[in-house]
Amino acid sequence: MDVPFIGQVPTDVVMTWVLMIIVGPVFIIILTKMRKWPLIWEYMRTTHHRKIGTMYILASILFFFRGGMDALLMRTQLAVPENEFWLYQGDKYNELFTFHGTVMIFFVAMPLLIGLMNVAIPLQIGANDLAFPYMNAVSFWLFFAGAMVFNMSFFFNAAPNVGWTAYAPLSTEAHTTDINNNYYIFGLQVSGLGTILTAINMIVTIIRLRAPGMRLTRMPLFPWSTLVTSILILAAFPVLTIALTLLMFDRFYGTHFFTTEMGDPVYWQHLFWIFGHPEVYILILPAFGIFSDVISHFSKQRVYGYRSMVIALILIALLGFMVWAHHMFTVGLGAFANTFFAITTMMIAVPTGIKVFNWLFTIRHGSFRVTTPMLFALGFIPTFVMGGVTGVMLAVAAADYQYHDSYFVVAHFHYTMVGGTILGAFAGIYYWFPKMTGKILDDRLGKWHFWLFVIGFHLTFLPQHFAGLQGMPRRVFTYLPEDGVAVYNLISTVGAFLMGISMLFLLLNLYKTAKTKETASADAWYGEGRTLEWTVASPAPEHPFEKVPYVKSVDHYWFHKQGTLEMLTADNPRPSPVSVKTIQPFLLGGVLSAMSIAFIYHWLWLEIVFGLATLAFFLIRTVIDERESVYRKEGET
Amino acid sequence: MNKRIKMTPLFLLLILSACDLRVLDPASETGRTIGSLIELSFLLMMIVLITVFILFAVFMQKYRAKDYTCIPPDRKENKWFEVTWTVLPILLLVVLAIPAVQATYSLTYKSEAEKGDLEEEGTHIEVTAEQYSFTFTYPNGKESTNDLVLPVDREVTFTLTSEDVVHSFWIPELAGKIDAIPGKETHLQVTPDEVGQYQGKCAEFCGSYHAEMRFTTRVVEEEEFERWREE
Repeated sequence: MDVPFIGQVPTDVVMTWVLMIIVGPVFIIILTKMRKWPLIWEYMRTTHHRKIGTMYILASILFFFRGGMDALLMRTQLAVPENEFWLYQGDKYNELFTFHGTVMIFFVAMPLLIGLMNVAIPLQIGANDLAFPYMNAVSFWLFFAGAMVFNMSFFFNAAPNVGWTAYAPLSTEAHTTDINNNYYIFGLQVSGLGTILTAINMIVTIIRLRAPGMRLTRMPLFPWSTLVTSILILAAFPVLTIALTLLMFDRFYGTHFFTTEMGDPVYWQHLFWIFGHPEVYILILPAFGIFSDVISHFSKQRVYGYRSMVIALILIALLGFMVWAHHMFTVGLGAFANTFFAITTMMIAVPTGIKVFNWLFTIRHGSFRVTTPMLFALGFIPTFVMGGVTGVMLAVAAADYQYHDSYFVVAHFHYTMVGGTILGAFAGIYYWFPKMTGKILDDRLGKWHFWLFVIGFHLTFLPQHFAGLQGMPRRVFTYLPEDGVAVYNLISTVGAFLMGISMLFLLLNLYKTAKTKETASADAWYGEGRTLEWTVASPAPEHPFEKVPYVKSVDHYWFHKQGTLEMLTADNPRPSPVSVKTIQPFLLGGVLSAMSIAFIYHWLWLEIVFGLATLAFFLIRTVIDERESVYRKEGET
Repeated sequence: MNKRIKMTPLFLLLILSACDLRVLDPASETGRTIGSLIELSFLLMMIVLITVFILFAVFMQKYRAKDYTCIPPDRKENKWFEVTWTVLPILLLVVLAIPAVQATYSLTYKSEAEKGDLEEEGTHIEVTAEQYSFTFTYPNGKESTNDLVLPVDREVTFTLTSEDVVHSFWIPELAGKIDAIPGKETHLQVTPDEVGQYQGKCAEFCGSYHAEMRFTTRVVEEEEFERWREE
């Protein structure tokens, strides 16, 4: 479409502009009318874990709709053979799947889980906040800044288009000369930094701030999985940082790390997957933790095989670092390398299997109640096992020569990522919603959400296994009638829309719950809570543990209610982290986005200005300690 | 549970339709080796899947609370159960790993030495991938683009490289994929044993028109191949 003063712009981008021009002011008017600005100002300056967690979750739900829209556009284009839907052919389609993949992994799945960690971890271990509240705010605003930078790309008609894996040399300057993929580099770089900081924060919080008596072996499984995940993040994300930096140098300054003249395209694949495979465990382990807590809670039974659950988490994490080349079986690494990575990959099935059977037997020892979070946990078990078994099939290197980069793989990783991570995140949101807002989400709407989502999910992804075996490669925008994949694709498209509809029930539910006056009690789920978060009020107050409990066993609170254990308070708890109100993290995020944009468009002077501004934040931070006033007060008393 | 009951006919239909999927109905020994490996892994995994599904279904029926006030007694794990579901999957994986490793070694191209002989026999084909086509060069200098002709019952060795970005060479009915990487050579061997025409595709995302990067493979009788080659 020809826009005056700008030139040729695709109609979908123009439509977004128009939409923004209309919706933006309306939104601002509504916020002003409802007097919400003080609340927003409050959240912009907060360092409190619950508020930051809530912002993480709200932002990721927003991006979930963004990524989901891409998915629906893709499925519409693929609904029938040789389709010509709107303008989604060629590069426009490639932008769709690049956006979908990147947004769903980095700006939906990761922040959903990190948001839940923020809300639940301190409460579950009896801490008053995360160890570094200021850094926590920095983490959030870096994630948000990265996500905004990435999302701006579409708005400026320069969406990245080389897939979320950005394989070199396609992603280098020689083959994609436009600025599109610069957005990919900077979006991920900025948000990745935030993720690394979160990992440090979680590790220190869990190691240092547990309530007295809560040994690691008495800790609930969600904090356990968070601890293991954070260590994974700390080891894996710097590899992504390095890979992106090298790619940036290739694109910006004419180096040749990933091109053929002096570098090696396969080197990118190694770096990417050394990050990328641990990344999928980073996404699934916290979900495992959520399911363990949810299943145990609603089965009114301790987690079956607590010790083996923890060992399995650690084993999965360790093995997760030894399997990256199973994404590269067809690169021609040779029979020995392929065999090695095939065997290590198969080995991961064993600890995962242990966890599945332990969940099943937790149910068997208990007496379970079907609530929305439990329903998501129950739906997860068969769904995830289906994704797990195709994982073992994919591990067979020789067979992978056939599956590789076909729709079979697409089906597999959606079964694990949606069936595991996303169902886990939903379970967690419904489960801890009282701790975030003081209200319980509507159960009936929640069940509608679950059933439509799960049925839609299986309709979408089960047929894709067959499409893959029929020879349909992934990342194609069209196929022919004689390919024999039309039926599978049509069913897939129908399923995808069903999933889309199910998400409207979540929105409706959020809206309805916001309207109700009913509030949740501290022990919000029928008074059957097992862990410490259910001892504090809903929503969790700023300083939840005035008296820090002394923990003597797993599920101490539960056994206290059963009359077998007393609830004592600890005499000498650790000092609590000091929370402050500060706008610095928000501004730092803003400055980093501006610097990213300057780099993306090669505006040298702005690069320097915003680079210096970023450094200034380090200086400010070095000389100012906002805790001083608190220390002074303590000294006086 | 009603979800599963409602969807059973659909699932069955899909599974029945699986019998003539390209990957599972191949026209070469290589393809059949992979096909049977897929079937073996599928069967072994069905054992796991069905076990979990049955346990799940039974537990769903049996342990759903009828009386919400009843508190089940606190119970710890049974060590032997845990040992069982650790050891049995390991055994299952060993059963799968042995043929998997064998096949990986037999299907992954190893020897550089044979190349000389093959070139004389005329079954060594150089494949050059570029955005968005494959060019095949035969030992006698014959070149063809997006049209691969192979003699039936003769072992063919492909040596692949790329002019620009990473591509992947895939004929689902004959063999698995092998990537074509700029600046590198990769190899693939296959012996087609049924005359026919098969789809070939680029399987690694390679840019704007990746979806349209296709070629046809014609497996023909020896004489016809000779005639075509001399054209």
